[in-house]
Amino acid sequence: MSQTAVIHEQKAVPQPKQHGKPGGFLYRANIFTGLIGGIGAAVITYAIGDKLVPWGTQNADFSQVGLNALVFCTFAAWVIGFMVGIGAFAGPIRWALGHDLTHVDAEYMAGKGQGRMKYWKYTTDHKVVGIQYLIMALVLFGFGGFFAMLIRTELGATWREVFDPNFYNSLIGTHGIVMIIAMIIVVAGPLGNFIMPLMIGARDMAFPRLNALSFWLLFAAVPPLVLNLVMGGIRDGWTAYQPLGTQAPIGMIGYQVCIITFAFSTGIAGVNLITTIVTMRARGMTWARTPIFIIGTLAAAIMGLIWFPMFQYAQVLAASDKVLGTSFFIPQQGGSVWLYENLFWLLGHPEVYVIVVPATAGILELMVVFLRKPLFSYKLAVAGFAGVVGISAVVWVHHMYMTGFAPAAGYPFMLSTELISIPFGFLVLVMLGTMWRGKAWNRLPMMAVYAVIIDKIIGGITGVYLSDVPVDQYMHGSMFVVAHFHYMLMGAGLFAAMGVIAYWFPKMTGRMFDERIGKIGFWTAFLAFQVTFLSMFVAGLQGMPRRVLQFDNAFEISNWISTIGAYCIGIGMLIFLYALITSWRGGKIAPANPWGANTLEWQTETPVPLANFPVLPVVTSDPYNYGVPDPYLKVQEQLDQDDNETVGAR
Amino acid sequence: MSAQTSPALYPTTGEPVEVNARRNRLGVWLCIVSDATGVVALLIAYVYLWSLNVNNGWAPPKNHWAVDWPFWAIVTGTILGTICMWWGVKAIAKGHTGRLMVGALLSSLIILVAFIAQIVQLSTFPFGPTDGAYASATFWLAIATAIHLSLLTFLTTAIVGRTRAGRITPDNHSHARLVAMWMTYVCVAALLGAVFTTVMKESPNQNAPTFGTFRE
Repeated sequence: MSQTAVIHEQKAVPQPKQHGKPGGFLYRANIFTGLIGGIGAAVITYAIGDKLVPWGTQNADFSQVGLNALVFCTFAAWVIGFMVGIGAFAGPIRWALGHDLTHVDAEYMAGKGQGRMKYWKYTTDHKVVGIQYLIMALVLFGFGGFFAMLIRTELGATWREVFDPNFYNSLIGTHGIVMIIAMIIVVAGPLGNFIMPLMIGARDMAFPRLNALSFWLLFAAVPPLVLNLVMGGIRDGWTAYQPLGTQAPIGMIGYQVCIITFAFSTGIAGVNLITTIVTMRARGMTWARTPIFIIGTLAAAIMGLIWFPMFQYAQVLAASDKVLGTSFFIPQQGGSVWLYENLFWLLGHPEVYVIVVPATAGILELMVVFLRKPLFSYKLAVAGFAGVVGISAVVWVHHMYMTGFAPAAGYPFMLSTELISIPFGFLVLVMLGTMWRGKAWNRLPMMAVYAVIIDKIIGGITGVYLSDVPVDQYMHGSMFVVAHFHYMLMGAGLFAAMGVIAYWFPKMTGRMFDERIGKIGFWTAFLAFQVTFLSMFVAGLQGMPRRVLQFDNAFEISNWISTIGAYCIGIGMLIFLYALITSWRGGKIAPANPWGANTLEWQTETPVPLANFPVLPVVTSDPYNYGVPDPYLKVQEQLDQDDNETVGAR
Repeated sequence: MSAQTSPALYPTTGEPVEVNARRNRLGVWLCIVSDATGVVALLIAYVYLWSLNVNNGWAPPKNHWAVDWPFWAIVTGTILGTICMWWGVKAIAKGHTGRLMVGALLSSLIILVAFIAQIVQLSTFPFGPTDGAYASATFWLAIATAIHLSLLTFLTTAIVGRTRAGRITPDNHSHARLVAMWMTYVCVAALLGAVFTTVMKESPNQNAPTFGTFRE
C-alpha cells in the first residue's frame, strides 16, 4: 500500500496497487461486448450441441428431451456469455487474485467521467442502476401492454378468430409473466435503487457490484422469455402448470431460464436492499425515524429473499423434467403436479405483496408530503407491513382450492387469507387517517393516492370473496378472478407506481414532470381501467371462463366494453409515456426540493452528485413532522443568537 | 483523524474495515437464508414424493437404492474442510497469518477432493435420473451439494490467494471469516441431504394406486 487516496475530501486512505487502467477489464466492457459474448456463446453452444444431441429421445410425456437440452444449454450459454462479456465476473476474479479495487477503480466503476456511456456499462452507482431499472420496467410494460392489446383484440372481435388458439394462449402466458416481472421491479427497482440510499442518507448501496449484477442478470433474463413466442410459446398461462409445462413446446424453456435467472437477480437485489437499509442509515435515523417507504421496501425485500428461491427451484426441477427426463412433476414416473403447485404458490402469493407493499409505502410517502400532515399512526403502518410479511407465508393454498389438493386444508387457508386483510386494513386506516381533515395539494402524485385507494378497496373486497372456499368454487378460473388481480396488481400497483415516479421524477432526472399532459394520460388510463375491469367482473359473474378464445354470445357486450376500455388504457399510457419522455428531454429544470419535503433525498442537490452528500447527514427529527417546530432548530437558533450577542459585545 | 493513527480503512469507501465487515456479515447471512430456502425446496420435493409414492413410481428399478456411505464421506470431507478453515481464521485473529495460509490450503484441498467424490458419486449411482422419483430427488440433492462444493473450492482457493497476496491480515481478515461462515452452512445443507437420503428410502405409502403410463 504505497499510495493513499483522499476520499470524499475527508481523509487520506491507504490504497492497494493499481492494476492497469481504472476499472481494469471493465474499462473496455459494455453492453456491446456483453451482446457479442452472449450471442457468440449461444451460437457456439447450439452448433456443438446440434452434433451431440441424441435426437428422438423422449421422456414419459413424449417431450423431446434432446431438443429441450439443446435449447436449454443455448439459453444458459446466452446468459453466461452475456454476463462474461459485460464484465460481471471481473470482480470475483480480481478478488480471488487479491487485486482489490482502488478508490480510483471504484469511482470509474461508479461511472465517474463517462457521460451517458455509464448507462450502457456494468456501472455500480445506485443512481445509474435505478435509471437502468426504470428504463427496463418501461420496456417490459411496453411488451406486456402490447400483448394485452392483442389479447383484447381477440376477445373483442367475437365474430372471428384473429389469432391461432395456441398463439393466443401463448400471448396470455407471456403477457402475464412479463407484467409480473415488470410490476415486481417497477417500484423496488428504480426507487429502491435510486431513491432509497438517498432517503437513508447513504453514499451508495451496501454492495455496489451486486447492484449492477442484479440489473444485468435481469437484462439477460428477458430475451429467452420474449423469444418463447417464436418457439411454440408458453400455452399454459404464466403459472406454467405441470404436467402441461413438461409437454409444452421448447418456448417453455425460455420461460424457465428467464425465471431461474430473474430469481438470482431478485435474490441479490434483496440481499443488497436489506443490508443497505439495516446497516447504512444515517446517524440519528432510528427505526422510528425511518421513512415509511424504506420500511415498505424492506418488507418487500424480505418476502422476495425468502420466497423467490421456491419459485426458482420449481422452475429448476421443471426444466430438469424437460431436459434431463427426471420425474418431479410427471405422475407416470412418480412425480406430483401438486408438488409444483405448492412450490410455485409459496412464492406466487407473497409475490403479490412484493408488488403491492412498496407501492403502498410509496403512496403513504406521497400523502404526508401533499397533505402536509404527519403520517397517521406510523406504528400502525409498520405493524401492517409486518403483518403482511408474516401472514403472506401461510396463504398460498387458496390458489389450489379447486385442484383437489388436501381439501381439508381449504378452511384453515381460507381463515389465514381473510386474516391478511386485517394488516392491509391497518394500511388503509393509516391512509384514511392521514387524509382526515387534510388540505390536499392536488398535484399529479396526490391523484395517484386517490386512484390507489379506490382500486385497492375494490380489489381487496373482491379478494375477500375469492378467499372463501364456497365462493371460489363458483368463481375459480373465471374472468372475475382476472378482474380482481388486475385491480390489485395494476390498479393498486401500477397507478401507485405512476404516482411515485411522478413524485421522484425531479430528483431522478433533474427535470420537472409535465403534469398537464401527465394528468391527461393518468386520468384517461384510470377511467378506462374502470371501464375495462368492472365490465370484466360482470363477464366473470355471468360465468365466463378465463383463457378462452371463443365464448358464448351472452358475454359479447361485456367483452366489447372491456376491449374498448383496454384500448383507452393504452392511449392513456402512451400519453403518460409521452409526458415522461418529453419532460426528461426538455422539461423545466427542477430545484433541489420542489415539493418542500422533509426526507433526506430532497435535502441534497439536483442532479445528485456522485457521492450523494458532501457530508453525511445526521437526522435529528421525525421525517413527517410537518407543522411541528423542530426542537433542535430552536436550540440552534438560540445558539446563533447567543453567538451574535457575544460578537456584538466584543 | 489521520490515516496513520486510525484503524485499518477500507480502500474504496474510507470506512473502518470493521464497519465493512459487519455489513458483509449481514450480507452473507442473508445469502445463507436465500440459499437455504432453495435447499428446503429440494428437501420438500424429496419428502413429498417419498410420502406419496405416486403411481408406485418412487422406488428405483429393482430397488437399487443409492449406497449410503458416499453421502456421509462427502459430508465428513466438507466438515473437515470447514474445521481447517475455522482453525486458520481463529489463528489469524491472534496474529498467525501463516496458520490461515495452511488452514485455507488444507481446506481447499479437502473440499476439492469432496467435490471430485461428489462427481464420482453422481456418475456411479445405480440408477439414472429418469428412473423414478427417488432417483430424480436424489440426483438433485447430490447436484446441489456439487454446486455448493464447486463454489467452496473457488472461495477457499481465493482465500489462499488473498492471504498470499497480503490482502488478508490480522487487522483485516473478515473475508476469511465470511467464507468459513458459508462453509458451515454448506455442511448443514450437505448433512441434511445425507440424513434424508439415508433415512427415507422405502416409501411409507406402499398401497398407492397404479395408473400406468401413456406408453402402456
